[in-house]
Amino acid sequence: MEIRKNNGPLKWILIVISFLFLTIFLLLPLIYILSTAFRQGIGAYLVSVSDEYTIKAAILTIKATLWAVAVNTILGISAAWCLTKFAFRGKKILSTFIDLPVTVSPIIAGLIYVLTFGRQSDLYPILDDMGIQIIFAVPGIVLATIFVTFPFISRELIPVLTAQGTDEEEAAALMGAGTFTIFRKVTFPHIKWALLYGIVLCTARAMGEFGAVSVLSGHLRGKTNTLPLYIELLYQGYDFTGAFAASSILVLMAIIILILRLVLEKKGKKELDIKK
Amino acid sequence: MKRKSIIPGFGISFGLTITILSLVVLIPLCSLVVYAAKLSPSEFLYTVTRPRVLSGYYVSISTAFVASIVNAVMGLILAWVLVRYEFPGKRFLDGIIELPFALPTAVAGISLTHMTTTNGWIGKIFYDAFGIRIAYTRLGITIALIFIGIPFVVRSVQPVLEKIDIQCEEAAFMLGADRKTCFRKVIFPEILPALISGFTLAFARCIGEYGSVVFIAGNTPYETEIAPLLIMAQLQEFDYSAATSIALVMLLIAFVILSINALLQSSVAKRVNGKS
Amino acid sequence: MSDRNEEAYVELKEINKHFGNFHASKDVNIAIPKGKLVALLGPSGSGKTTILRMIAGLEQPDSGDIIIAGNRVNNIPGSERGIGFVFQSYALFRYMTVYDNIAFGLRVKKVPEKEIRERVSELLKLISCEGLEKRFPSQLSGGQRQRVAFARALAPNPQILLLDEPFAAIDAKVRLELRTWLKEMITKLQITSIFVTHDQDEAIEVADEIIVTNQGKVEQCGTPQELYSSPASSFVAKFIGNSTVIKNFNRFKYFEKAEEAEEAILRPEFVAVFKKGESVQYTSSAEKAVVEDIIFRGSNLEVRVKLYDNLISSLRSINEPMVEIGETVDVFIYRMFLLNKDRICLVHNQSLKQESVVI
Repeated sequence: MEIRKNNGPLKWILIVISFLFLTIFLLLPLIYILSTAFRQGIGAYLVSVSDEYTIKAAILTIKATLWAVAVNTILGISAAWCLTKFAFRGKKILSTFIDLPVTVSPIIAGLIYVLTFGRQSDLYPILDDMGIQIIFAVPGIVLATIFVTFPFISRELIPVLTAQGTDEEEAAALMGAGTFTIFRKVTFPHIKWALLYGIVLCTARAMGEFGAVSVLSGHLRGKTNTLPLYIELLYQGYDFTGAFAASSILVLMAIIILILRLVLEKKGKKELDIKK
Repeated sequence: MKRKSIIPGFGISFGLTITILSLVVLIPLCSLVVYAAKLSPSEFLYTVTRPRVLSGYYVSISTAFVASIVNAVMGLILAWVLVRYEFPGKRFLDGIIELPFALPTAVAGISLTHMTTTNGWIGKIFYDAFGIRIAYTRLGITIALIFIGIPFVVRSVQPVLEKIDIQCEEAAFMLGADRKTCFRKVIFPEILPALISGFTLAFARCIGEYGSVVFIAGNTPYETEIAPLLIMAQLQEFDYSAATSIALVMLLIAFVILSINALLQSSVAKRVNGKS
Repeated sequence: MSDRNEEAYVELKEINKHFGNFHASKDVNIAIPKGKLVALLGPSGSGKTTILRMIAGLEQPDSGDIIIAGNRVNNIPGSERGIGFVFQSYALFRYMTVYDNIAFGLRVKKVPEKEIRERVSELLKLISCEGLEKRFPSQLSGGQRQRVAFARALAPNPQILLLDEPFAAIDAKVRLELRTWLKEMITKLQITSIFVTHDQDEAIEVADEIIVTNQGKVEQCGTPQELYSSPASSFVAKFIGNSTVIKNFNRFKYFEKAEEAEEAILRPEFVAVFKKGESVQYTSSAEKAVVEDIIFRGSNLEVRVKLYDNLISSLRSINEPMVEIGETVDVFIYRMFLLNKDRICLVHNQSLKQESVVI
């Protein structure tokens, strides 16, 4: 081990560079948000945060996030299960399509929904007859949020299930267990932490999505404005205290998510170590 | 390819995956393809070769490239520091690297903008001391993109660096190599594929980035107008064919970048795993 | 037999090494003569690899001297001690070709490219891997990788070759071939070599001398024969050979009663098993025992018999008449080691003197 034991000025130079870089690029913006939010005192902050539209925007954000987490959890589990436990033709294509959404610019993600459900689309008259409005309405926001977080959960589960192999499930199946019993008793304990971790990542991204949602939202205050969109509105209206106050809610969520991430990662690693 | 498995649940998991994938990803993507096929080639060419659009691509690609280069260098240093050194605050450093994933892009965007205007904390210092403007310039865009791209390189290099067999370094050392030679000849080739992979992911993500950039960019045509913003502008004017044309070129660029990376990675994997 | 007065080439004096609270080397004293092939043998965690790594300069001892060719080298970096090191998993550079791997040590030393080319092709010939220079390590078989690692270590012309578990990563059949190959190579090159192993067969077959380590201490140094015939400690007596520990050895017939001894050690070659009436010589002095188990070992059979509640192993040739499980057989014990604390003595069956048999 001795040759990796360092030593010398290089170590400290690199550490100082790292701290400086992350402080300037990551920490400073964070501190700036909080300090601007509280600049006009805690009173002004509370007024901004408890503003009717802020709360409505927060509720819509939570709603879209819950939808995204729910849909992507179901997708994540079933996709991970069928991609890791079975061999079939087209497996590679399937996994490519699942990963595709994150490589697409959020604006383009918004665009494809506009093309699918917008006025010029063939689907529009049908949906209109049924009284369903998708774009510039809540369903569009939910869809866009699902899209941009699409592979977040399956991507966490697949490596864990690949590493675990199929022996245990085969053994359980030979003993006559059904699909759900096998999943609950055999597979689930392995992926528990990875699943939670995926949910945390999915939540983080879903809450913060801006571009795709921006395309699909009608920007109606209190109706189709999510928290990030509402922040944009406030900022462009030069209500900086309001914008930063609303931002501070999301900052708080981000910090919670980072802490959760560290905890879950540690638990997941511990689990792996025990297995070894 | 097809192999009968005794594990049950293929039908349900495959069915669910395909259903969700179709609704959220495939059908909208198809509508993009259908819509794109309806575009007349001359109109398409005219749209994407307009000077303003070309300049948009140029701004997006050049700033994304510079930001990703900065992130490649800093990501390498950060990964090195986190893997090889012990120092107080290491866990903290490791934890906040993920901040750009957790913090909504719009929040990061307004914070970075507000901070770097000529009146902001940082912007004032730079403007007064060097006469450099940050917000509303390409420099500002680059800074926002650096923020977004930090985790990509670190998180792809870190695990590879952790896995390098210490015996390889000891072998180089026993053969008389100093630290510099050892890094250049033994460690760097090991992490290079991961470095390239992290760089490409960050690059692709940055080209399509909207939320964090739109505030700091200032959106002056020919100067700081990014390609995703152009799509957004066309959408707001309900000019869907122009928006689709610009988006198609962006998708093509992303596809090319990611394909080059995939080819590179597979040729490296071939060499290392000996399947050629 | 080794000449104890031969001048030591590699010498470790009063070496101590700790890893945290773990005492990895306790007062280690070793002297290795020039040109010898020496094995460091011991169970895992016995400190053998630590000794090797300290000689190589990959670890620093807490105290004590490391001497190579008469010079104290504690403060000289490993790369300047004239040592070639073959790592357990070879540690070949994955992104370099076989040629570049072997040339690495020479390039670092700024040897002219022409000389490098000559040296590499010479080494490739030595390890009979000509034509493989453009391959990457992943395209080689396990045995070829081992040989390339060997050539890479030899390229800068080291005075000493250190090998850490050189055969551990190779499958059983190739391992035997490589053992012979390595011994031939080292004998041919006349290079002082030290290798670490936990496999006593490997050490006995390959090494001129063996250093047995246990719990950070050196238990014994000597030729394989010496370790076999006169183990210096109970650990060596138990570790070398397929030993069975016997507590109630005083019940064995025709051995002098030894009250002070604590236990006895029997090896398969100390024991003979005969079918009833097969041997006339020992009938009077043999013990009756029942066959418990027979294990086919390929070239011979290991027969396990129950004698005074001890399961004792013996070898029988497959050409001799078969014995069966449950059969009552004659067991003759030629000799055994008696252990008293750490004193060891070999005692012989007294009937041998009386009957003056020829084995």
